[in-house]
Amino acid sequence: MRWCGVLFILLFIPAGAAASESVRVPPGLFIMGHDGDSAAGPERHYMLGGFRIDRFEVTNGEFAAQFSGHVYPEGADEHPVSHVTWNEADAYCRSIGKRLPTEAEWEKAARGEDGRNFPWGNQERKRMPHPEFSGVVKRRPGTDKKDVSPYGVQDMAGSLWEWTADGGDEGKKFARGGLWNLHLDFKFSQTWEKIAIPPGEKFSFLGFRCAQ
Amino acid sequence: MKNRLTRRQWLSRQLKSVAALFTLMAFRGIARGQDRDYFTGTDFVGKNRTGEFRNFYINYWKPHRRIEAQEWTLEVAGLCRQPRRFSLAELQALPAREQVSRLKCVECWSAKARWAGFRFAQLEALVRPLEQARGVLFHCADEYVEYLPLETLRHPRTLMVTHMNGSPLSDEHGFPLRVIAPMKYGYKNPKAILRLEFVAAEVWGTWSKIGPYSADGTILPGTDHPLEYNKQPRRIPGGEITHY
Repeated sequence: MRWCGVLFILLFIPAGAAASESVRVPPGLFIMGHDGDSAAGPERHYMLGGFRIDRFEVTNGEFAAQFSGHVYPEGADEHPVSHVTWNEADAYCRSIGKRLPTEAEWEKAARGEDGRNFPWGNQERKRMPHPEFSGVVKRRPGTDKKDVSPYGVQDMAGSLWEWTADGGDEGKKFARGGLWNLHLDFKFSQTWEKIAIPPGEKFSFLGFRCAQ
Repeated sequence: MKNRLTRRQWLSRQLKSVAALFTLMAFRGIARGQDRDYFTGTDFVGKNRTGEFRNFYINYWKPHRRIEAQEWTLEVAGLCRQPRRFSLAELQALPAREQVSRLKCVECWSAKARWAGFRFAQLEALVRPLEQARGVLFHCADEYVEYLPLETLRHPRTLMVTHMNGSPLSDEHGFPLRVIAPMKYGYKNPKAILRLEFVAAEVWGTWSKIGPYSADGTILPGTDHPLEYNKQPRRIPGGEITHY
């Protein structure tokens, strides 16, 4: 019987299941924003309904499975996808029955209900996200075992910045997150940080994850 | 018993003092070198952060001889149907474009200027790159080599520049031709260009080969230290800096 169970899993669980796994974030209040950061807005209590969000960023392999024209370096199937416009990220999420997370959803998934500065707590990690390199370093999502939010969502301080559904002035869309690279340590990846990017731009530092 | 220096101890202390003095002098010399202008009034141009260049630092890979306009031609070669040479007058006759944009160095500083020149597409129309061309390798007078993908060169904010702030480029800023790609760090903005080579795949440029600089060179979200604001740090969102 045990072997039947293993066989069932091997046959019926798709290869990318782990990467597209989502976690549930329960409804309720959480602390959003940060006093002193004009972009993030003042710290306030924000009521949000329940939602699900991907545990990991979308990978090249997953994106290419929906959009066959997506070109990426050989061997980078499991690296987070980047160089995608906001519309492409939005279209991908819709193509699998999901959507981009709102800013509030992203922030709650990253900082939980206690208003923490980093997904893992309030203490800044001393180690640089990736020393000795000026560019973006991509690794398999989930490689950093410490970059985990209270809900188990991974890579919200490191890896790539991520498109969200929301936008601001001049049609720009907000991205949240942080990076692995030389110039920035984790203090540039606090849970309330946001950047505004024109939706048609595509960058090496910008990927996404989906919600539903 | 009274401690008295032996001859060996006295000599050792004297040698250490002399060594410390030489070390101090060497460091002061290096520090002064940052502010020294080696090139003004010479036939050469190179790295300079003195005088007017305190407001817009000059980085070159190596010092090189100043380019004479009448002796310079731009060679366009590699994967294109009509490789040829262009005089400066021919390039300046192309439809002119102008933009104000900031050059952001990977060293953290940035500076803003009004740039004028022509679109890369104008050049492409004349040399007609082959379908397999993916990017261009720029060969510069200071022996610097840098690669930019066609996607970046065709970006609406990328400009082939011949003029800066209403005047022809100075030797320091890359006379007679440079690239301004404001979404990329300065090392992806080659200057004093001699030759363009269309290539089929990405080639790592000079800095990317030897230093910790990414081949992509996109400006990342983080902090900028603009020279005109006395290097006071400002947060930037990544890509072109447009908000100051």
